[in-house]
Amino acid sequence: MNKKIALPDSAYALAGSGKWQARRAGDDDEWFSLGAPAFDNRLQGGLSRHALHEIFSATGKDLATAAAFALLLTLRLEAGERRIYWISDERQDQTSGRLYPLGLAELGADPANMVIIRTLNMLDALRAAADVIRSKSAAAVILEVYGTAKILDLTSSRRLSLAAREAKALALLVRGDAIPMPSAAITRWQIKAAPSTALPASAPGFPAFDVSLLRHRGGIAPFETRMIWDHENRKFHDAPLSGGLSAAASSGEGDPDMYTQTGAGA
Amino acid sequence: MRLVACDAMALALGMTSGLALADARARVPDLLVFDNDPQADQQLLAELVDGCERYTPGCAVDPPQGLILDITGCAHHFGGNEAALAADLQSCLRRRGFTARTALGSTPDSARAKARFAVRAIGDLPVEALDVETKAHQALRRAGLRSIGDLAARPRQPLAARFGKACTLKLARLLEEEDPHITPRRVRPIIHVERNFAEPVARTKEVLQVIGQLAGEAAVVLGERGEGGRRFEVSLFRSDGHVARLAVDTGTPTRDPALLNRLIRERIDRLADPLDPGFGYDLIRLAVPVAEALDNTQMGLETKVDIKAGGAALIDRLSVRLGSDHIRHFHAGNSHMPERAAQERAAVSGPSTGVWPAPAPGEPAMRPFRLFDSPQPIEVLASIPDGPPRHFRWRRNLHQIVSFEGPERIAPEWWRYRRGYESGGGGLTRDYYRVEDSEGRRFWLFRHGLYGREKNDPDWYLHGLFA
Repeated sequence: MNKKIALPDSAYALAGSGKWQARRAGDDDEWFSLGAPAFDNRLQGGLSRHALHEIFSATGKDLATAAAFALLLTLRLEAGERRIYWISDERQDQTSGRLYPLGLAELGADPANMVIIRTLNMLDALRAAADVIRSKSAAAVILEVYGTAKILDLTSSRRLSLAAREAKALALLVRGDAIPMPSAAITRWQIKAAPSTALPASAPGFPAFDVSLLRHRGGIAPFETRMIWDHENRKFHDAPLSGGLSAAASSGEGDPDMYTQTGAGA
Repeated sequence: MRLVACDAMALALGMTSGLALADARARVPDLLVFDNDPQADQQLLAELVDGCERYTPGCAVDPPQGLILDITGCAHHFGGNEAALAADLQSCLRRRGFTARTALGSTPDSARAKARFAVRAIGDLPVEALDVETKAHQALRRAGLRSIGDLAARPRQPLAARFGKACTLKLARLLEEEDPHITPRRVRPIIHVERNFAEPVARTKEVLQVIGQLAGEAAVVLGERGEGGRRFEVSLFRSDGHVARLAVDTGTPTRDPALLNRLIRERIDRLADPLDPGFGYDLIRLAVPVAEALDNTQMGLETKVDIKAGGAALIDRLSVRLGSDHIRHFHAGNSHMPERAAQERAAVSGPSTGVWPAPAPGEPAMRPFRLFDSPQPIEVLASIPDGPPRHFRWRRNLHQIVSFEGPERIAPEWWRYRRGYESGGGGLTRDYYRVEDSEGRRFWLFRHGLYGREKNDPDWYLHGLFA
């Protein structure tokens, strides 16, 4: 099972990081950093802004966290005139809540620059996402998909990925409650809420995320880390990884691409 | 039960409207009767009037059984012969099984009277053709005035003195001295272009092609006027009188035929019940009912992608495909209640408005990333009834609270309540807490009602999720 799923992935992967480096050197404009030095170092500079990335929630309770992480990634882009499009299922509003613009603004986003698209089914959502990317008016498109979606296979993700590359747009696929399946995304992340560093009087602090890289087409080895969002400077900060908790949570998920990693520290 | 209307054969048998059904049955035992359904009649008339739009945009229903068409300047398709147009209409109606009488007149009143009384000249009309009370008709007859011609020959002033000003006004309209104009069922579009076919077209591909050509023609007219359309309506007139209407709205004024074509194509793809051409369409019309000023723009030499225009076109397209209510922008609401502090509106209705709070330096977000439309009821254990929560149960999961901030007290908008000015009548105060559970998830909870003062056992709700 494991091998069967992993096969098509490796067929598309770039062989070795040497080629990756060569390709990276070509276009400096393509990369955006997250602002956290240790994290960016591990990614050899940052993430591609002209590609499809997958963001999985670690558990069913981390849906909002994974979605928030996707949004924060888009805030690292200099959007300029281009907008951020958020595509989600209409029925999802009841279970996970609506995006709340006041909260978005407090995270550093500009709600006026966002377009909310609600679709009735997965096919509409995928079509809308492809159209948004191809219109070249989007800085980023976030597509939220909960549960297993059969239609979201290697072909459809490859289509999105190619469109993103061509139109130079960042495409983020937020998956909640889903088992990672083969896809053409360039990276795959797993996000889990992390305890924040409490403020005085033990008030909850700045949003913290346990981020683990499950897969990277450039051949960067999976790792996990904890990051804190700084809305003032619109950047992430590295947080010291607090040992057992996050490592234990992410190792049991059974991702086909995830290697058994021990000691995933810096 | 009484007869409401009779057909020609029934009339020949001596039936009249208003006759009691029992009497009618007594005279003609095998009389066919049907229930009167005025609503269905109206609907049928509305359908007919829609079909008549092939002749003129100025069509109106003239209840209970009439249609009025303003065909001023519309007879060119029939060689300028209005009688030919009327004959065409009559044959169309006959094909659908209607018995109709047509008459031409310079005013709606005269045409109506001529058709009702089957008279050619206005002078020959009986006085009953005058749209006044029955009492007035009787009085006129008693005075020896039998026809409109008799009436027209007499001075108007005594008539006005006897029967009122309305009477002379009606007479003037009947005599084609004054034209009141009809109120068309549909607003006349600013621009409309159309194509007639000698042979009906039935294939969707051809129909789309024609719509594309019409869009090009409309674009030229719009360009001359320096305008762009905000709404486009395509009417497909089927040869059997049925009319299919498709409309697309755009967020910004446009006259780009390619874009228009794509939008309409999208609209046709999305029809819940697909277009049924039947025996084909013999007239296709593109109308622009709403247009706004749109200046000509000069194309630059360098090919620069216009991001704004691309975004607007994208929103139009998605709005047509998914429904305009599914593509939205945020708007700031003028309220301190969390659920009313922000709204979403359809993106085609305009750009985002309002001012959003700037993030506070040195403090994490005070408002959640996601908000529930209806706050989720939760079970909470608090150490003291009006103290902070200790742990809570939401969707069967128990969350242990390790840190919290609050309460942030949000008073209800008492002015929205009917008896809000009275104590206790203005709704319940909410005490909001920003909490984090042992696994690092952050929530926004509130207690609904002040303990002891407003409620003895206040409920708890989860209102939002933080990043």
